[in-house]
Amino acid sequence: MIYEKQTAIERNALTKSLRSFFEKEKFLEVETPIMVKIPGMEPHLNVFETDFIVGNKKTKLFLNHSPELQMKKLLGANFGNIFTITKTFRNGEIGGDTHNPEFTMLEWYRVKADYKDLMKDCEKLVKTLAKKDQIIYQNHKIDLKTPWEKFSCEELFQKYCKISLDQNRTLKKFKKAAEEKNLDTKFCKDWDDIFFKIFLNNIEPHLGKGKPTFVYDYPSTQAALAKKCTKNPFFAQRFELYIGGIEIANAFSELTDEKEQKARLIEEQKIRKKLKKTIFDIDGEFLASLKSIQQNCAGIALGVDRLFMILMDKKKIDDVLLFPLNKILN
Amino acid sequence: MAMTTDIKKGLAINFKNGTWLVVEAQFVNPGKGGAFTRAKIRNLKSNQVIEYTFKAGESVEEADINKRRCQYMYNDGSNFYFMDNDTYEQFSLPADVIANDKRFLIDGIECYAMHIDGVPASIELPPKMDFKVTTTTPGIKGDTATGGSKEAIIETGASIRVPLFVKEGDMIKINTEDGSYVSKAN
Repeated sequence: MIYEKQTAIERNALTKSLRSFFEKEKFLEVETPIMVKIPGMEPHLNVFETDFIVGNKKTKLFLNHSPELQMKKLLGANFGNIFTITKTFRNGEIGGDTHNPEFTMLEWYRVKADYKDLMKDCEKLVKTLAKKDQIIYQNHKIDLKTPWEKFSCEELFQKYCKISLDQNRTLKKFKKAAEEKNLDTKFCKDWDDIFFKIFLNNIEPHLGKGKPTFVYDYPSTQAALAKKCTKNPFFAQRFELYIGGIEIANAFSELTDEKEQKARLIEEQKIRKKLKKTIFDIDGEFLASLKSIQQNCAGIALGVDRLFMILMDKKKIDDVLLFPLNKILN
Repeated sequence: MAMTTDIKKGLAINFKNGTWLVVEAQFVNPGKGGAFTRAKIRNLKSNQVIEYTFKAGESVEEADINKRRCQYMYNDGSNFYFMDNDTYEQFSLPADVIANDKRFLIDGIECYAMHIDGVPASIELPPKMDFKVTTTTPGIKGDTATGGSKEAIIETGASIRVPLFVKEGDMIKINTEDGSYVSKAN
């Protein structure tokens, strides 16, 4: 293995700027656990599992794939604006330029805010870290001048595939519409499968090239912890940020309705069962804490290693990590 | 039938009425949906390269290919010449097919040729290969500008980042996929 000191120096400087950015914005930094008893329910994520052993008693623990549930518990305890920089873990995610099974996640939550306010935070944060209005990533210029590009999922499907998501809400209709446009939907078992197959093949490669791009208002099925759009509840108040074709962050206007949240978690639990993945309990404390969140709030998870790849002009996540698991396992 | 979870560099597949070689395979997981494999595939007849994202678990048909041991001989800039280890027959492949692998080709080196319908279509290098370092600067302790690595030229002429302790004449193991240093060779 080669340990590049320069990488460590640059990462260190960027991490310091991250912290000072949130300090200036009057956020409180909190530490969240790496091991948890109940991780988030995301149906498609695989977790690392371990046993906590005392004598003959074993308790199953999981490596956290996101600090989201813990952060929302703190919001419920009236902590106000908070952020955390922590390690998160996803089992089975390896082998590409942008995945390492353990990675650094930055999450921040703003009270009296919605997802649109977080877009402004993203713009300000990245510009602060980049220290300039234009960066070069892998020989492509990226213009950081604000405002950045914003497209809803509906607009993107219309723009690149001439398909309306809103008018094709069922699997049957969506499949037919896609096939009419000669888009491959073979092996797609549900609506979301078709969405991703088209999104990844026909839309994502165009995103965030000349300017960072926000993709917003995702189908509600893909945003279990987000508030639905008031005008059209088929979509939810979620956005993702793309820079240089890479997905950097994922944000929600947080769902704080306890009943609706419980129903959606039960739904996701069923999907996990169907996909034969480890089933988690529903975190009662998390649901209860939603009740005490008085104000609107919004939260975002940002992949720190990926952002640093962009800012350090590195092609692979391995190039910004001192101990990439990709190299250790291969 | 091969499953796409198996889609990886070097796999030949039947796709869209043609035979394609996977040149690059990337794991993609949008988080809110299932996992995907984004692949760069090259058509073995036309050499056209396209990017396509397969759903994990999607089945793709593996093409009927024959892997044969061969030896690299030389190149004339536009073509690379090899010899089959069993039949001693010579064959050539255009430089754009060899692409990045050319930085690890040196006379007499052994690799695999992938035959489709009896015709050599591409080569595959062993994932790790040993090379001799021909040129490098002496490692300076505490060199803060370069951190823990320096540049070294190996016998093929390729430039590799290596740790400071590597000296001229050392044999080193290199990952041929991304061209990175693995360890000192024994």
